[in-house]
Order: sequence, then structure tokens, then C-alpha cells
Amino acid sequence: MRILIAEDDAETAEFVERGLRELGHNVAVVGDGSDALHLGLGESFDLLILDRMLPGLDGVSVVRRLRAGDVGAPILILTALGKIEDRVEGLDAGADDYLVKPFSFSELAARVNALGRRPPPRTIVTRLFAAGIEMDLLSREVRRDGKIIPLQPREFQLLEQLLRHAGEFVTRTMLLEWVWDFHFDPQTKIVETHISRLRSKLNEGGLPDPIETVRGVGYRIRAQ
Amino acid sequence: MTAIIRSAAYRMAFAVSLAFALATSLLGAAVFYAAHAAFAQEMDASIELAAKGLMAEYRDDGIDGLSEAILQREGGSPDALGYALFDPAGKRVGGNLNTGMPALGWHTINFIDPVEGPDPARAMVTPLSGGYRLVVAADLEPLDQIDRTILTLFAAAFAALLFIGLVGALVFGGYLRARLARIEGTAKEIIAGDLSRRMVMGPRNDEFDRVAASLNGMLDRIASLVTNLRQVTSDLAHDLRTPLARLRNQLEMLQGQVGSDDRRAAVDAAVERADEVLQLFDAILRISELEEGSLRSRFEHVDLCQLMRDLGETHAPLAEDAGKTLSTKSHGHCIVEGDRELMAQAIINLIENALRHTPLGTAIVIGARRALNEVVAFVRDSGPGIAEAERERVLERFVRLEEARSTPGHGLGLSLVKAIADAHHARITMFAKDGFEVALRFPAASASHPSGLS
Repeated sequence: MRILIAEDDAETAEFVERGLRELGHNVAVVGDGSDALHLGLGESFDLLILDRMLPGLDGVSVVRRLRAGDVGAPILILTALGKIEDRVEGLDAGADDYLVKPFSFSELAARVNALGRRPPPRTIVTRLFAAGIEMDLLSREVRRDGKIIPLQPREFQLLEQLLRHAGEFVTRTMLLEWVWDFHFDPQTKIVETHISRLRSKLNEGGLPDPIETVRGVGYRIRAQ
Repeated sequence: MTAIIRSAAYRMAFAVSLAFALATSLLGAAVFYAAHAAFAQEMDASIELAAKGLMAEYRDDGIDGLSEAILQREGGSPDALGYALFDPAGKRVGGNLNTGMPALGWHTINFIDPVEGPDPARAMVTPLSGGYRLVVAADLEPLDQIDRTILTLFAAAFAALLFIGLVGALVFGGYLRARLARIEGTAKEIIAGDLSRRMVMGPRNDEFDRVAASLNGMLDRIASLVTNLRQVTSDLAHDLRTPLARLRNQLEMLQGQVGSDDRRAAVDAAVERADEVLQLFDAILRISELEEGSLRSRFEHVDLCQLMRDLGETHAPLAEDAGKTLSTKSHGHCIVEGDRELMAQAIINLIENALRHTPLGTAIVIGARRALNEVVAFVRDSGPGIAEAERERVLERFVRLEEARSTPGHGLGLSLVKAIADAHHARITMFAKDGFEVALRFPAASASHPSGLS
């Protein structure tokens, strides 16, 4: 993907740039809000990562002007902790996701992936399928190899998110946001516990585990 | 009554009024004796003068002239003196003073008053030639009357002073107590945790106002020190977060590069430790943000009953994994003005506490209900609870009770609950009966005033 990073803190910018390059992305870095706006309007990017606080023009204003300039690429905002207002403001201005600093690189990478592979807007998905698991979003039925698996509502939502992002890592934080609408870390094992419940229901009868866990990164379901 | 005895203000006021009463009675005694002596002296002088006059008559004209003079004086202008002339046999031969023959010199004698009967009198007995004696006496009745009048006046003055003193002491003591009680009341509110309270100042700049001003100055100083301390804590957390996050990121990059399993486990553990410290800093910063109080502008209507059902559903499996049970008692809807995520965080911290610090098999019940003007969210467990003396303390930062030392945690969970409760103007109550219950009492959002809480 071609990614634009606007971040005035050189060390953070370098850390993000290096990481994303290692993942094979094409990265451009600017340290100023107006530069970010010019580059964002002038060139085509698959994803923009903007710091909330930028010299020249702040991140939220950049988002607003990019959207006004018909730039449709997904935008991820980076915010400092303790500014809940910033998050709401950024999303209202047209950003797609946000991340609280300091963040781990794996968290950023997972979000970059999720944003980059968004289905085109206005497509309505009613069935999800991966790793021999079939989910009908209308009848809310889940089958593995044809056999119906009864799930609790939270387990269903967890599996839905894993299936929607099949082949990609989904982090604990992303699941907290998507399934529970918690934009904070409750510092409890709710994700782990519900994933383990989901897992034991999916694997009943000694079937192989379709959910891969990588410590400190997140969960992934095989694409095929 | 004991309150009055134990009050220094009343004791002082009483002592002052008693001292005044005592001084008045001393003054009364002095006036009494001085007046009595002066009057008695004057009486003696008038007796002496009369006796001298009669003796002059006697010297000129003998016994007959004297008798004549006595008759004249008794019949003339009444001068309140009585006279008697005795012959050598002791028989009264002149004068109206009805008494027996007294010895010579000054005496107090008894005479028979024709109207009042026996009466005491002051008398001077002068010897005459030939064994005759002249008695000149003054009735003591007027002196007694003056004594009585003076004593009555002072007794009345003493009683009045004592009464005024007592009433004054009660009023003055009550005033002192009231002024002190205001200071004491404010101090108690500050002790209870409201450091923003200040002493009420009167308009007169009297001693109490000056004490209040000094106390307020002291409180300002303490408050600024506390604020500084908090500021330093959150600044420190803020400043340490960035380098720590970088350290964590470098460790994270190592995770991918380390080959051997045990080294990888060591790096994983290091990342986890770094995360724990970052979480601690996050909690400190979150508390600071809440204490700034700027969040209320974003508050919206939250169905706390529904939130408790969601949290119950989410946490029941966690309780089960911990060998405990969690059930939810929350029916219908109850609307509170607030921030859904903050409320969720507070409740989750309470659930987490109930999960961590209770024995296996503990039953936890959570829920919300509408009370009179409140919506009460509670987390109840059948565990041992928190000792009454510790309940205030556990809400402070970094406080961990001895019993909890062995379980993981940073001692900020309940401080965060308190900060969230304060930001919502909610009260925290703890209650031990058949287990332990912590409740957050939110003011209920009124339907007619959707934003009528601020």
C-alpha cells in the first residue's frame, strides 16, 4: 500500500516508517500539517496516518479539508492519551480510525491492514466464510463443516469480526472496540475469556483450532 | 447540660459573670459598713451635743433648771432624742425615756416606746452631783432602717447582676460556640474530603474572622501542595510514558528476531512488564483527566440498567473461570446522565475487585435499580468484604490492603472508581451484610430536564 504519515515527532515517525516499510508498504513521511494536506490532495494514497497535533495545520483540520477535497482514502488519526474529545472530533471530521499514543507497532500494523482491506462502501455482506466456518448474518446461524454451532451473542460478534478480517491479525483493542464498544482498556481478560469460549465451541469433537493466537499481537482466522 | 459544662466558651462567660457578682457584693459590704459607721457617728454627735446643752442648763440652774430644760426639749421640736433624769435612788425624776437606771458612759439600752413597746436605743449617761444621772438616748430604729435599706438594695443589685450575668453568659457562650461551630463544621467537611471548602468570613474582621482567614490561607497552601503533588504524579506518568513505550516497541521488535524459545519467553515477559507499567501510567493520567472535570460537557443519557446487564453477560464467563459465579439483577431501564464507557470502567473495576479478592465459590451479584432520586448500581459478593475502618482509605491512590498484597494490581482501581463517581456527582457506599456490597449512587436524570444535572 502507498501510505502517507504526518507526524512531527521524528522518533515516532521513524519507528512507524521503518515498521511499515518492513511490511512492504510504500511510505511517505511529512512533519507538518499543511504539507500533509498538499501531498494528500495532490497525490494518491491508499491510507493516511495523521497525528492529531501537527504544526502548521492540526490533524483534524487536515482530515476535514481532505474530505472536502474528495479524498476518500481511509484515514487513521494518532492522538495523545487522555483526550477523549480528540477521538470524537477526529471521527466526526471524517477519519476512519484512531490510535492512542504510545501504541505498539503490531497494533498499528493490524489497523493499517484492516483499513487497507476495507470492502468498498455500499456493499452489503450477508454471508461470511473462512476456514470451513460459515456465518449467515441474517439468520445468525453459524456452521462448521455443515454442523450448526450455537453461540452466545458476544461469541457471535467476535467470530463475525474475525471472519470479516480473515487472514489478518485482529488485536485485542480492536475487538474491545468492535464488539464491546469500549475505547479504553478495562485491564481484564474479557477478550481472552470469550475467545476461549468461542474456540471450545468451534473445536468441539476434536476439530483443529481455526483461530490463531500470537502473543502481544492478536487473533487471526485462516482465510481458506 | 453536660454540653454547657464542657464548653470552654460557657465556662469563661460564667466565670466572668460570677466575678462581677462577687465584686458587686464586696462593694455592697464596703458601702454598708461605711454608711453604718457614718450614721452611728452622727447619732453619737447629736446625743453629745444635746447632753452638753443640758449640762450647761444644769450648771446654771441646778436640777430644777435641768428638768425644766428637758421638759422644754421634749415638748418642743422633736429631735428624735429621749431624755431621763434619775435621782440617787435610781428613780426617774425627769424625762419621758422609759427605762431603768443605766450605768455611766455609752450604752445600748432598752426602753419602752409608748407606741412600739420595748426598743433598743443608743444612750449616753452623764453623772451629776449628788448621785443624779442624766440619760440622753437616740432610738436605733432609723439606723437599723438604713442598714436594711442598703442591704436590700445591694441584694437586689446582686441578684439582678447574677441574672444578667447568667443570661449574658448563655448568650455570649452561645455566640462563641456558634462562631466556633461554623469553623468546626467546615473543618469536618474538609476532613471528609472536600478540600475546596473554606471558612466563612464575617464582615467585621474580628478575631474569629482573622482565625478563619489564617485557616483559609493554610488550606489554600495545602490545596496547592496537593494539586502540585497530583500534577507532578501525572506529569511524571506522562513524561515516562513515551520512553517506556519506545522501550516496549524495541522489545516488541526483538520478539520477531529472537530464535530460541526461552529467550523469546523472556522478551515476552519483559513486554508484559512494560505493559503493566504503561497501564499504571494510563490509570494515573485517566484519574487526572477526570479530576480536571472537563468531561461533563460530553455526558449523555445512559441506560445504567442495560449497561449492567451487558457487563453481567460479559463477565459471567470470567467469574466461572475464576471458580465463582456472577449473576445480574437489573430490570427495565434506568437513565443516568454520564459517560457510558467511564461508568462501564468503574463497574468493571468493582467486578474485578470482587473476582480478585474473594475465596473460591463466591457468588457475585451485580445490578442497577432506581431509588428515590438516584440510580444505584451495585456489585455485591458473598466474600469477606472490606473492614469498616479501611473503607475510606481504599479509595485513595495506591492504597492496597495487606490481604490484597499477594494478588496483582496497582492500587489505583478503586481510586479510578472514585474519580469516575466524583465526575458523575455519584456517591460510593459500602455496606456489609451477608457479604459485601459496593454501590455507586448516581443522581437520576430527570425526564423533563435532560441536562438539568450541572
